[in-house]
Amino acid sequence: MAHSLLLVDDEPRIRRVLRLALEDEGYEIFEAANGLDALSALRREPPDVVLLDLMLPDRDGFTVCREIRRTSDVPVIMVTARTDSHDVVAGLEAGADDYVTKPLVAKELSARIRALLRRVEPGTPVQEQFVVGDLEIDVPAAEVARDGAVLPLTRTEFKLLVELASLEGRVCSREHLLSKVWGYGYFGDSRIVDVHIRRLRLKIERDPASPKHLVTARGLGYRLVS
Amino acid sequence: MRQRFGLRDRVMLAYGLLALGLSGVLALVTFGVVSNYLTDQRTSSAIVETSDNAATLHYGLYGLTPECMPVRREETECATSVAVPPAKVAKLVERLPSTDSAAMLLGYNGSWYTVSANEGDVPADMVATARSGIEVHRRIEVGGEQVLAVGVAVGKPGEAFFELHPLTRLDSTLRTLKLTLILAAIVTALLGLAVGRLASTVALRPLAELTQVAAAVARGRLDARLQAENDPDLGGLARSFNQTAAALEKRVVADARFAGDISHELRTPLMTMMNSMQLIQNHRAELPGAVREPVELLGDDLDRFRRLVVDLLEISRDDGGDQGTRETVRIADLVRAAADATAGREITDVSPDAAELTMEADKRRLERVIANLVDNAEQHAGGCKGVTVRAGGKGVIVYVDDAGPGIPAADRDRIFERFGRGETSPDSRTDAQRGGIGLGLAIVARHVEWHHGTIQAKERPEGGARFIIELPTQNH
Repeated sequence: MAHSLLLVDDEPRIRRVLRLALEDEGYEIFEAANGLDALSALRREPPDVVLLDLMLPDRDGFTVCREIRRTSDVPVIMVTARTDSHDVVAGLEAGADDYVTKPLVAKELSARIRALLRRVEPGTPVQEQFVVGDLEIDVPAAEVARDGAVLPLTRTEFKLLVELASLEGRVCSREHLLSKVWGYGYFGDSRIVDVHIRRLRLKIERDPASPKHLVTARGLGYRLVS
Repeated sequence: MRQRFGLRDRVMLAYGLLALGLSGVLALVTFGVVSNYLTDQRTSSAIVETSDNAATLHYGLYGLTPECMPVRREETECATSVAVPPAKVAKLVERLPSTDSAAMLLGYNGSWYTVSANEGDVPADMVATARSGIEVHRRIEVGGEQVLAVGVAVGKPGEAFFELHPLTRLDSTLRTLKLTLILAAIVTALLGLAVGRLASTVALRPLAELTQVAAAVARGRLDARLQAENDPDLGGLARSFNQTAAALEKRVVADARFAGDISHELRTPLMTMMNSMQLIQNHRAELPGAVREPVELLGDDLDRFRRLVVDLLEISRDDGGDQGTRETVRIADLVRAAADATAGREITDVSPDAAELTMEADKRRLERVIANLVDNAEQHAGGCKGVTVRAGGKGVIVYVDDAGPGIPAADRDRIFERFGRGETSPDSRTDAQRGGIGLGLAIVARHVEWHHGTIQAKERPEGGARFIIELPTQNH
């Protein structure tokens, strides 16, 4: 089954060549030249992944990303100019799942997309249900519930939570999470993990400022406790 | 030639010598005047006393016989006098008064009459002069003591009266004076040195600041400026320096921005080319045989071009004052991950004492350091012969060894400059070496410095080059 990808970039030549290269990799491509087009395209034909350039003519990529998140948990990969700018953290805070930098090649992008689209691998977690404090995690249904109400996690956030839960309270390093959830090697950007942990806390913690379940092990990583 | 003394020392020394010279001259003049005056006083009072005593003797020996006075008459003129008996002469001499207990000698009628003196105490030439009727005085030594010998005639020629006035007190006074003056000269010279030091320190303070600021600029802190612009003496220098530094900073920033802008602009066409090339290579089998090799060439150079653009972006990002991100990493793990991935095989050796060392690092930057060095060794220096991590130096030391021809000592700093590949024997380089280190080592040097570390290029004992990186650790 071909995955579909929404390409949001104001540069026609970039859209054209990425379409060619990604179609060759086996994806179905939709294009949008600005934020408004992107949002309507998303409603019309929901893609499997969104590739979002942060520099758009009508509104900035962060706003577009937040608007996507309001209605959809589709994985968003943002395209930034630089790895070290504040754009990366701001984009992740806005709800992006991962980022790539220009100049990017379809092959690398394809690897990132595959990692994001990968479901929680069957057999990876030792069980199908986890109960962590007041949280109930249902792996096959990809749902987390608290007091019977389902929490709105994105797919990536859910994968992160299951990964932490399967370690049953043991400390999990950023590198491990980067490799398990995002498919990165040693040099993945740990800010991706940190921002996702922050976002996850906002959703699963009653008081995100002083987390009870998702706690930081200083200098080592994170762990999920009851 | 190097100056033996610094400017400050020289100013100080000049002040000291000047003070010493002035006080020395002053002391010499003072001593001369005072000692002359005191000696003159002493001499004239001794002469007066001696003359008075001689007059007393004359009266005692001849009564009021003016015929024989003054001296230098013919001997016959006084021949009428009767010789006084020796006992009376001795009594006369003994009774003579003396203010400073001077020793006395009287030569009369062929014999010597003395008081606390010996006959031979006075040199013969003085005796002869006094006997011939001429007053004589001279400093002589008697029994180890300095005395002023004064001799006068008494009555008849052939008679002489001497007084030996002790000079001990005068000498000790002069000695004290001399000591005092020498001491004063030394103290003044020392004061001169101190004033000189103070003056030079105050005067050279702006120079010290200039040195510091110039060093800071040389180290790359291009925003360092001199504060002394309003100083009437140094303002000109400070202003010129600051203008130069500002121009340099502007130029460097402009260069960086230019490089950044260019590479930024290059990214869109680069992306088009790279993705197109990937497509072509995906369908390599469908290509006619004649174009396969050109496509390969194009692909290789495109890759090289991409790396140059990425490096340029990296450099301009650093010049733009990027803050970076720091996190705690285990250095051995990072080096191993970066080196092995770049070389495509296991080349990292970690000594046990370095396995657990951690530091605050920007992973991406440190990865570039190791990857660039290993890649450099692989591409241009006969392959990487190993990466070693061990404890030591600032905390941890990383060696990256290659099997190349080594780096000439003259080039070992140059290679860390942008496009600095060393200048020696450019013709001896192979095409592979020409392929370009470009910005790779410049980025390495910058990133190592960013981590407060150092990097050096050395000879490897087994041949080839060894890059040595020292990085500060947390638990060191």
